[in-house]
Formats: sequence, structure tokens, C-alpha cells
Amino acid sequence: MIHSLVDTRIIIGITIGGVAILYAVLFWFMPRLTRHDLYFAVTVTPGFRDESEGKSILRRYRLELIIFSGLAFIAFAAGVCSFGVGFVSAGLFIEFVASFIAFYLARQRVLPYAAPPTMIREAELRGQNRVIPGGWIAASGPFILLAACAGYLWIHGAQIDPGAGGQPNGLTIRALTVYLLFTTTKLAALTLVLYGLSHWVRPVYAGGPERAHELKFRRTVSAIVLGVEYYVTLQASWIMLVPRRGDLMTVALLPLVLVFALVAIVMLARLGQGGSRIPAKEQVSPTISALPVGDRTPDCYWKLGIFYFNRDDSAVFIEKRFGLGYSLNFARPTAWIFLLLTLMAPLIPVLAHLSQFLPKLGV
Amino acid sequence: MLRIDLASRVPVYEQIANGLRAELVSGKFSPEEKLPTVRTLAINFGVHHNTVAEAYRQLANEGWLELKRHHGAIVRERDRPVAGPDTMERFTRPLRELVAKGLADGLSPSSLAREMIEIARRLEGKA
Repeated sequence: MIHSLVDTRIIIGITIGGVAILYAVLFWFMPRLTRHDLYFAVTVTPGFRDESEGKSILRRYRLELIIFSGLAFIAFAAGVCSFGVGFVSAGLFIEFVASFIAFYLARQRVLPYAAPPTMIREAELRGQNRVIPGGWIAASGPFILLAACAGYLWIHGAQIDPGAGGQPNGLTIRALTVYLLFTTTKLAALTLVLYGLSHWVRPVYAGGPERAHELKFRRTVSAIVLGVEYYVTLQASWIMLVPRRGDLMTVALLPLVLVFALVAIVMLARLGQGGSRIPAKEQVSPTISALPVGDRTPDCYWKLGIFYFNRDDSAVFIEKRFGLGYSLNFARPTAWIFLLLTLMAPLIPVLAHLSQFLPKLGV
Repeated sequence: MLRIDLASRVPVYEQIANGLRAELVSGKFSPEEKLPTVRTLAINFGVHHNTVAEAYRQLANEGWLELKRHHGAIVRERDRPVAGPDTMERFTRPLRELVAKGLADGLSPSSLAREMIEIARRLEGKA
């Protein structure tokens, strides 16, 4: 049996541990991947990071990152050994908190050097460049695949559901239906993100090569989100159509997450946040202000440097100040719909499980 | 491209309306052409959508735009209006302040007059 050769716990441990290490490595390089006039989520003059104060802050940050991440990893490993695979989510959270503390301390050191960003804003009146990679045909692919799986289950339910003593009892089908709902909710959330990336992101530059770089970055992020959609669907299809293969075949797909995350991070890191690391082929547009551009958001709207909350800003998606990709403007109701959908997906199996007991309680 | 300054004393909606009007006067948009929706422009500027809606309403009242729900703003065919007796009066005060600032900053009256004629010609597409 394959089960005896490979322990599923090892696969899960290696994957999640790999993701945790990847996280710490990303935090190590992050200060150099953000826009030139943003340093630890604070708007600074463009040359600040190469000045002695900037370099000193970076050195101290990296030292603290090693110490905190190391401690977190020990706690993570100890937790997995003591409490089993169920501890991995908590372990990942501990890893995140450790990296965040290092970031927050560095941010506090940068704040005295903060420079007010330019208040000049630009907008292009033509050509909004709303691109979803592959168009709506590619975006609807995961839903079609999932619908095909649901159709197959509907028709061949009895063959898939072995039940007790070879007689179908509906339990397998019920579990698969819950899983189907869970995946559909996840896909809906991801599709909303994909739509939001093409419609609700505020560009930092309205023209010039910086705009082209920004668009390239946004297209790459959209392609990654689309890739995640396909991965989620393929994994769900596998689980639904080959349920009798057991845990291992399902868990065997897990390391793919690590590979996928690694490829996505390398792709985005090469571009830099907002395409800021792409070398300019043509003349960069002349600066319209002596003040740093940053991401054209005042520092005061960034809570703890990671949460953006600005009621006067209609944008739902904003470039992360410390990270690769986009964050939400939590002052917009749409942002909370995103969060609700994301949180709803893991809640569906719990609700379905509870609904089994409700009839017994006479509800 | 439209540019606004959030630090300016001029209200943002007025800056947007002024900028759009300049584009419309210069004929960069033809009749029936669509402008970005209120939401899109508000996102691009990073301002509240009510601010952009106010600018669009102002231009609609002036006869430049037709606002259609869920379809955004459409540029209207607009005849050149006949200037009334108070039209020049409305422009003289801000113009006077602007010219005074230019003179205070060292510009000569002739260069200011030249620049004004040049701007008006460019906007009318004659330059």
C-alpha cells in the first residue's frame, strides 16, 4: 500500500513548513521589493533606503526577523509534534505574527523620517485597460469544470457512494455536496477578486512607462488569481471524482501549493511592487512634484502600516505598502463583502455539519 | 490626462469640472462619446464618488454632458452660447487675480497677454 510508504502527515508538515519558511524569506527581501519612496509602509524620500539611516534600519530589521522567525518556527514544530497536523494553521499564524512584529518595530524606526507624499492625482480619461487574462472565457472555465463534476455526481451518485455493506446511504454524496458548495464559494470569492483587480484598483500613475509597468504587474497578479482558481477546481474535481483513492492521493496534491506559491512569489518579486523593479526602456516622465509620489495615499490612512481605511477614497483595491499585490480599503462596504465571502467558504462545512444535528434537536 | 491637486484651495469637484471642460472645449471628445463612469474616475483619482458626481452634474447643467443612469456620462453636441452682459463680468475677477499674481511673480503684461491668446487658440483648436 502506498499509505504505508508515505505518511500523509509528513507531506502536510513539509508543505506547511515550506510555506512558513517561504514567508520568512519573503519578509527578508520585502523592503527592497516595494516602491522606492515607500519604506516599511512609510512614505520617505526616494533615496532614503540607501542612506546610512535606511541601511541601519534594514540591518536591525533582518536581525530581529531571524530571531523572531526562528522562535516562531521552533514553536510551530513543537506544536505540530505535540498536537498533530491540526496545529498547522496556528503555526502559520505564529510565523506571521513573528514577521509582523519585526516589520512593525522597523516601521516605528522609519516614522521619524516620513515625508509628506504629493497630493497631485492623475487620471486617464480614455483606455481604462480593464484586462482579465484570457477574458471571461478563461474566468468561467473553473465554474464549467465544477458544474460538469456536479453533473457527473448527480448521474453516477450511486456508483460513487458505497455506503454500509455496499448499499448507498447518501453520506458520501452529502459530504461531496458540502465540498462542492465550499469550492463554489471559494471560486466566487476569487472571481470577485479577479473582477475587482480589473475594475476597482486605483492606479498610481496615469501615463508613461510607470503606468505600463503597473499594468504588467496587475496582469501578472490577475493571472496568478486565475491560476489559483484552476488549481482549486482541479483539486476539487479530483477529490469529488476519485473519492475512493483515499487521503494520500488528495494530500499528494498539497506540495503543489508550495510550488505554485514559489513560482508566484518569484514572478511578482522580479517585477517589484507595482512593477517598480522593471527597468525603464524609455524616458521616465518628469516629476510633477518635488514631494515623493509613493502610492499617492497619505500615511495617516494606513493603520499599523497594513490596513488601509479611507472613507474619501472610492478605490476598493490599493497596492500593498509592504508586500506584493493588493490590499483592501476597509472603509468601502465592497471590501467587507470580499472578506465575508472568503470567511464563508470554510464555514460552509461547519454549518452543514451542524444542520445534521438540528433535526435531531427538533429545530 | 486629467490632473488635480488635493492640497489646492480650489475644491476638488471644481478642479475636475475645470479640467474636463478644458478637454471638451478643445474638442478632444466628440459628441456621443462616453466619459469614464463616476466610479471609475473617482477610483482613479482616489476621491469620493460624490465629488466626481458633483463635477459631472455641473458640466451637465452647462450643457456639456448628458448623464444616464448606469451608462455614465455622454458628451453632448453643444452650440456655442451667446455671451451675455454678465458673462465677461464673471471672468474678470478671477482673471484679474491671476494676472496680478503673474505680475507679482515678475511676468510682463505682454507675455501674459500672449500666453492667454495662445491658450484660447489651443483650446479652440486654431493653434
